[in-house]
Amino acid sequence: MNGNKPSEMNATLTTCPYCGTGCNFYLLSGSDGRLSGVEPAAKHIVSKGRLCMKGWNAHAFVHHPDRLSTPQLKRDGALQDCDWDTALATVHQRLQAIADRHGPDSLMFFSSAKVSNEENYLMMKLARAGFSTNNVDHCARLCHSSTVVGLAETLGSGAMTNTLDCFDHTDLVFVIGSNTTEQHPLIGGRILQALRHDTKLLVADSRKIRLAQHANIHLRHHNGSDVALINGMMRQILVDGLEDRDFIARRTENFDALRDSLEPFTPEYVAAITGLEPQQIIDATRLYAGADNAMIVFAMGITQHSHGVDNVRALSNLALMTGNLGRPGTGINPLRGQNNVQGACDMGALPNVYTGYQQVADPQARLKFSTAWGKELPETPGLMATHAIEAAAAGSVRGMLIMGENPMLSEPNQTLVRKALENLDFLAVIDIFPTETAQLADVVLPAACYAERDGTYTSTERRVQRGRQAVETPGDARADWRILCDLLQRCGIKANYESPAQIMDEITTLTPSYGGISYQRLEGGHGLQWPCPDADHPGTPILHQEQCTRGKGRFSPTRYRPPKELPDEKYPLLLNTGRTAVHWHTGTMTRRSHLLHREEPHAFAEVNPQDAGQLQICDRQLIRVSSRRGSIQLKARLTERVPAGQIFIPFHFAEGAANVLTNNALDPESGIPEFKVCAVRVEPC
Amino acid sequence: MLKQLTQQDLFELFDRLAEQYHLLMPTLLTDGSRELMPWPGSKAAAIDGIIPSMAGEPIQRKPTSHFFPQTDPLVFLKPDGTVSVPQPPDKPLALCGLNREDLAAVAFVDRFFSAEPADDVYLAKRSGALLIGLSGHCGDGSHGDHFLPLAQGLCDIELIAEEPNEEKKEQEKQWLAVVYNAVGEQWLSGFAAGSPQRLELLRHKSVTMGHQQQELLQQASRLLQADQVPDSFWQEISSRCIRCGGCNFVCPTCTCFCVQDRTTTAGTQRSRIWDSCQLDAFMREASGHNPLGTELLRTRRRIHHKLVDDPKRWGEISCVLCGRCDRACPTGIGMVAVCEELVRRFTS
Repeated sequence: MNGNKPSEMNATLTTCPYCGTGCNFYLLSGSDGRLSGVEPAAKHIVSKGRLCMKGWNAHAFVHHPDRLSTPQLKRDGALQDCDWDTALATVHQRLQAIADRHGPDSLMFFSSAKVSNEENYLMMKLARAGFSTNNVDHCARLCHSSTVVGLAETLGSGAMTNTLDCFDHTDLVFVIGSNTTEQHPLIGGRILQALRHDTKLLVADSRKIRLAQHANIHLRHHNGSDVALINGMMRQILVDGLEDRDFIARRTENFDALRDSLEPFTPEYVAAITGLEPQQIIDATRLYAGADNAMIVFAMGITQHSHGVDNVRALSNLALMTGNLGRPGTGINPLRGQNNVQGACDMGALPNVYTGYQQVADPQARLKFSTAWGKELPETPGLMATHAIEAAAAGSVRGMLIMGENPMLSEPNQTLVRKALENLDFLAVIDIFPTETAQLADVVLPAACYAERDGTYTSTERRVQRGRQAVETPGDARADWRILCDLLQRCGIKANYESPAQIMDEITTLTPSYGGISYQRLEGGHGLQWPCPDADHPGTPILHQEQCTRGKGRFSPTRYRPPKELPDEKYPLLLNTGRTAVHWHTGTMTRRSHLLHREEPHAFAEVNPQDAGQLQICDRQLIRVSSRRGSIQLKARLTERVPAGQIFIPFHFAEGAANVLTNNALDPESGIPEFKVCAVRVEPC
Repeated sequence: MLKQLTQQDLFELFDRLAEQYHLLMPTLLTDGSRELMPWPGSKAAAIDGIIPSMAGEPIQRKPTSHFFPQTDPLVFLKPDGTVSVPQPPDKPLALCGLNREDLAAVAFVDRFFSAEPADDVYLAKRSGALLIGLSGHCGDGSHGDHFLPLAQGLCDIELIAEEPNEEKKEQEKQWLAVVYNAVGEQWLSGFAAGSPQRLELLRHKSVTMGHQQQELLQQASRLLQADQVPDSFWQEISSRCIRCGGCNFVCPTCTCFCVQDRTTTAGTQRSRIWDSCQLDAFMREASGHNPLGTELLRTRRRIHHKLVDDPKRWGEISCVLCGRCDRACPTGIGMVAVCEELVRRFTS
């Protein structure tokens, strides 16, 4: 124990590893190479000297004793330490053997929204060039795949249209399906600050989230009724004549089809579907459409439905109809959950695109990448992560490499996921902790965490920023990019990069929207917002300014489809899932951070007191929650935050895993699961 | 003792101090903020073009973190039952560039941790440490052009920046050094004597600045002590708290910590880490009962503690008006913001 030197001798500026807001902070460390704390970057354009509770504790898990520090190989049914060469050779040989015997598409590669752009690029290169399959995906499938599909179709780009500074210049924020103060706390804070300066707030969320307390109108519509609500609002806009006719005429197409599709969505019809009063719908419409500049903010409450793409389309239609696009303080703004989920998508860690959303099915794009990589590339789009799980359970996917993801807890229907992973001929996992997924692996490769490697991350506002190494990896653990380079070399693909900066140089030559990004440019300022096509380009804070990325904004009519599984007699309550303010996803990092774990140490379910009364459940009592897919035990938390008829369970906790219960009903276009709606039964234990 | 120092004298002083102390200087970081970082030595500073950033905005991180860091090892317990404690510092700390607010905070925390039972982990870092205060023409403009003069006894040496002369370069800046004790005298004895008249002039300029926010805190404190602030106010303020803990973590007089144990095959490392009274678990009992179980109670407590409880226990308001919580709060409910609202609404 080194106590004789000051513990805050070094300060390393880096990007927060948690949500997609893109806060920067200094990691403080002593001469013993141990992190001792975090200090928010005072002058950074996003963090402005502020952080959330997770950010303030971002150093806390880094030196946890559970960190993986030695490669492990399963022998005699148990993971045992081995050397790197054995581990890497095994991964390469076993995956190659499966590909040789069953074809390249019997492999699946899970990339990660927690690793850098450079590492996502290498992972998709490994899948495509190394093993000749487009079966590469990552957890964006579970969060914003609906957004990417919906916004790409209507606007031509699946990313947040505006920039975070726009919250300071808007007249109204419409938050739908985003618990912003808990999941993007610094953005939530900006919204709360904006309200002090006369910005209006419209919140649509079945839960009484913090922002709802400050909203001019809070709509508690039923989970899964968003399409009806938004279509109803648009119909009312037309009735009131609040549409932006000039914008519609100049900048959009297919308006007539949209107008026709809205006819059935009268306030009364919408009220019957959403559980709202007709007047609430009319009032909310006038609030939104009456603002000169209005921002739509959404997240998982919109996307995680079997009709998630339609939800996004409907919101995009709403923004287009009112001309809220391409100006400061407007736009349609999906808040990306992970610190690099935007980047992982940008880097082509998706089954249908290379970097910068260049289609694998496009012969020209394929030629460009195959020329750069010196390898013929497959042309058929690959499997989505959720479909890959189903394929593994069915036996057609036989080998997987999973980097920095924990599908055992994060994918819906845990029983199916376990069956799928156990069914594999070979599973390799690259991670920093022995996750529930790593326990099932044949080889586990210990990786560097964010504080131990260089790289870039792309935040929700498309801001590409540096992450910097502050301390060394534990034991023999290696940075993910080094592990991937080794595997690429073993596949015969040249990958002798000396640093992530060199990898970025390769990315920029292949990716028009990242063309002007370099480590040198990222060093001095506050990152660069793509598109940034050349070295002199200042970046693009606001998209679709003169015209949409696809040219004209396209209205895309939607029809209301109810969720796949609604409460019934046998399973009478609706289960909503999500996260808490202090934990991150499957808890691998935050449950190993003392203050965060102490704050929420147990699995719990939010239960409305009215339901609790009927079920004879009291606060903190152990309950059993069951769905058609499984059953878990956890503590009840009685609260008015959830409406009667709904319970809410965060999915962080392995011992009360919400995803035992959730329904793997997928959106037909995006493959996203319906995490926000399924039917459950609650009983006292 | 009063001395006159050139920039070159100052660097010479720093080089000498760095031999016997871990000398931390205000340094401009890449994002533009100022932090106390190790003095690289005047030669290295010249080569790398690094100059200590003596003028500018207040130091970002609270300086008390160097004596009471965010993570602080306490003991190491080995499986054989033996216990080891951290080695004492190989040399004491010298913190240079503290303004009056920061020095007041160190003095407050000194009192807190020195009270019986004294906190040996804090005192091991604090004992023998040298504090060099900074005043004169080196502010950022938020308190006028000056930092306020430092009260005697809060630091060992006070450096006072002379008025900048536009014709002179930064390197030719002149400093007055007021020495408050024997330790300070030991380090400054060789330098040229300063002019008392010059000191008087600088002091006079600074004193006229005043500190209007002190009166705001006093007013808020009186209202709270007279129970003039209803719970509905705290409900409103707490509804804007997003539970980031930043107000506590940046506060130089916050001293709450909790204990973290981490066990490996080699043994258990027990450390203390900064805690936040804005967390639900801060006072949660094992039964689940929580005397501070609502946001309202926690938000009220944060302000009450500084403005009501500490004055009762220590005879002084424990907010030193450094401004850090107001800057760190993502929703605008730092100490001054809350007090302004409170005084505006409840002063009859």
